[in-house]
Amino acid sequence: MIDPALLARIVKGDQQAFSQLYDQSSTLLHTLALRILGSREETEELLQDVYLEVWRKVSRYDIGRGTPVAWLITLTRSRAIDRLRARGARGQQATTSLEQSAAPQVRDSGPSPFETQADQELRLAVGSAITSLPAAQQQAIELAYYEGLSHMEIAARLNQPLGTVKTRIKLGMSKLRETLRHSWDQGDFE
Amino acid sequence: MTHEELEDAVPLYAAGALDRTERQALEAHLLSGCPSCHHALKEYQSLAALLPFGLVQSQPPRSLKARIMAARNPVTSAVQDGQKDPLKPSLEPGEWMNHLFPPITPARSFSLPWAIGFATVALVAVAAYVGWTFTSRLSDDAARMQQLEATLQEQTTKLVSLQRVISERERSLMELQGDASRRAHDIAELKEQLFQRETELESLERQLASRSAGGQRGRTPQDELAALLRQPSIRVVSLSGSEMAKSASGILLYDASTQKVWMYAVNLPECLNGTIYQLWAIDQKPKSIGTFHMDSGETAHLLVKRLPDFERAKKFAVSLEPPGGRPEPTGAVYLVSQS
Repeated sequence: MIDPALLARIVKGDQQAFSQLYDQSSTLLHTLALRILGSREETEELLQDVYLEVWRKVSRYDIGRGTPVAWLITLTRSRAIDRLRARGARGQQATTSLEQSAAPQVRDSGPSPFETQADQELRLAVGSAITSLPAAQQQAIELAYYEGLSHMEIAARLNQPLGTVKTRIKLGMSKLRETLRHSWDQGDFE
Repeated sequence: MTHEELEDAVPLYAAGALDRTERQALEAHLLSGCPSCHHALKEYQSLAALLPFGLVQSQPPRSLKARIMAARNPVTSAVQDGQKDPLKPSLEPGEWMNHLFPPITPARSFSLPWAIGFATVALVAVAAYVGWTFTSRLSDDAARMQQLEATLQEQTTKLVSLQRVISERERSLMELQGDASRRAHDIAELKEQLFQRETELESLERQLASRSAGGQRGRTPQDELAALLRQPSIRVVSLSGSEMAKSASGILLYDASTQKVWMYAVNLPECLNGTIYQLWAIDQKPKSIGTFHMDSGETAHLLVKRLPDFERAKKFAVSLEPPGGRPEPTGAVYLVSQS
């Protein structure tokens, strides 16, 4: 996990600290951006934007709002969803879906050389918690989180009643919260 | 939206599934300081930030780091900033959180033109004036508010005490009602009893009337004797058996108010062959008072006759006479007075 002190060093203009931050977070952020955008080229562009924004705006980070990793993930997801929407507005077809996004991920899959044992354990715990959800709940959460769809858009996409979609997301998130609570109770994410 | 709806919206917010209107409603609610929603959101946002860990990892190309490190100079940054403006994100990450948790370190500004500095000073001065005016108005309002609150509290206290009095009155009224209802019931019962007693009384009066009407005609000698024995002025003469009937005896009672003589005789022998006992009052000569008959098995007999001149008689006697009796004694004497 990323030490908040690393960000404090970056605030002071420490280039080495910034390099370290990249090494510790780039695999995760790349995975996330690729899952959302589905395009390697676009993912790289996005990551470049995100890290430059971190370099400039790192002073805005406040530990009271979450861990450094949570901040980076929120920022990356937010920027990626913006790109996805901008692409949709320009009339381009979204290339992401569960199936389509799986192919490039498999090619590059493998642990990051900077990944700690705690990271590996966390990945296993989260992966197991997500796959243990009913498929419909998992799908509804992923459509919201990785494709930026509102519950109304998800209901239209799946041709399901709005209430059903809301319930699926709520139940899925609630179950994940119960299963993974210890992950941030242990201090990793709080 | 109700609080329950807002609370339900928290996991959807963290997953990014709310539309703009719903998002704004929830953010407004969070800014109002709801602790339960705030706590839930922190947890759900921590959870949302964990989700990418569940993805199959994919590493970026090595060249990316070099590009990023090279692009970090201020000129490039400025160019990057310029490029980013048209793509201003609708969702600044954790933007609402800035309101809840103001950053500890404020955003830095590396170069401030002096004009901005001057404008800032002017703005601060204006703000201070406005603030002072506003504060004094606020303090006036606060004083008025305190006064109103004090009045309200006083009225509330009065209201509470009045409510207590009303509730006490209601309770005693209910008790009185219960008492009145019990008394009404008692009165009804008493009326019923009175009616029964009146009916019984009427019936008794009727019986008494019929008895007293019949009593004048059918009054028995025994009844009169019983009444006679209770009178203190009664005269008593005892009779004893003669040689003819040693075990016989009798008694004479005289009531001067009615001038009646009562003779009660016991153990006299049975009258045979039509013979009859005759009672005599003896002054100068014997005078018949009346006759009576002793049947077989009869041991006592009561004879009642009028005798106006009882006081003049010196002696009384009972003799056995031939059927129908005689004007003067002819048969044996069976009972005779002591003096």
